[in-house]
Amino acid sequence: MTESVPLTWEEVARVYGRKIYNFAYRLTGNSDDASDLVQEVLLRVRKGLASYQPGSFEGWLWRITRNAFLDDVRRRNRRPTAPLPDEVDRWDLASAPSADTEYARISIGDDVQKALLELPVEFREAVVLCDVVGLSYEEIAQAVAVPVGTVRSRIHRGRKLLRELLT
Amino acid sequence: MNHAGELISAYLDGELARSEVEGLFGHVGSCGKCSAELEALQSVRSAVRSLPQLELPPGLIPEADAEVIPLRRNRGFLVGAAAAVVAVVIAVAAIFTPSAATISVEELNSRYGARASLDPAFGPAKVVVPYVVDLPE
Repeated sequence: MTESVPLTWEEVARVYGRKIYNFAYRLTGNSDDASDLVQEVLLRVRKGLASYQPGSFEGWLWRITRNAFLDDVRRRNRRPTAPLPDEVDRWDLASAPSADTEYARISIGDDVQKALLELPVEFREAVVLCDVVGLSYEEIAQAVAVPVGTVRSRIHRGRKLLRELLT
Repeated sequence: MNHAGELISAYLDGELARSEVEGLFGHVGSCGKCSAELEALQSVRSAVRSLPQLELPPGLIPEADAEVIPLRRNRGFLVGAAAAVVAVVIAVAAIFTPSAATISVEELNSRYGARASLDPAFGPAKVVVPYVVDLPE
C-alpha cells in the first residue's frame, strides 16, 4: 500500500488531527486525556517525519498513535489492563432480544462509550481502529504489529464482550 | 458442530472472500445460534459506528481549527481579481448550465445519503474562506 505522504507536520495535524482525537477519546473516555494524547502523537509525528520511509503512511501514523496510548496507559497505571479472557463465548440464545430491540437499547452513545472502556485494551483498540477510525484489518494489523488473524479475533471477541456489557 | 465464530465479524466488515461468505451463509441459514449472533453483532457494530464524530477542542490543534488562506496582497488587487473570477464563472455558467439548474433535497439524499450512512468520515465539505490581511505599509 502506497499513499501520498503529507509533507509537513502541520498538514498531518490538519488532515488527521480530528481522527486522532476521536480515536484517543474513544480509548480514554475523556477530553483531557484525549487532548494530551493528540499532542503527544503529533509531537512524535513531528520527530518521526524526518526519518519516515515511504510506505503505508496510515499504518505508520496509527502505530505511533496506539503506541502513545499504550505508553500512557503504562505510565499512569490508572486503568490496569485486564487479562484477555480465554473464553468469552457465553452467548445465551434463549435470552437474546431481537436485533431491533437491542439496537434501540444500545444506541445511546454514553452506554457504548462506557462499555468500550470496560474492554481489555487489546480488544478496545482493535474495535476502535475498525469502527471509529475505519481502518481495514490489514491496516490494523500493521498499526498493532500482529497478524491479520489476530486482528479478526480481537475485533470479534471485543464485539461479543460489548454485546454482553450492553445487555 | 463448528459455529461461524469470527467469520461473522469479518463478514460484517467486508473482510471475507466470496467463498468464505458462501460457507458462512450455508451455515447461518441452518443455525439459529449463529443467525442470532449475526444480528446481535451487527447491532453492536452499528452502535459503535454511530458514536458521534467529535470536534477537536478549540485551540488544541490551531492548524486544524480553520482552513484559512491568508492572501498577502493589497485589497485593490484582490477586489479586481475576485471580480474577474466571478465574471468568468458567470459567463461559463450561462453557457453550460441547463435552464432548470436546481436540485431537490431528495435527489441530494439519493446521491449522497447512502455514502454518508456507510462512511462516517463522509460529511459536508469544509468551506475554505480566504481572508484579506492588511499588511502595514
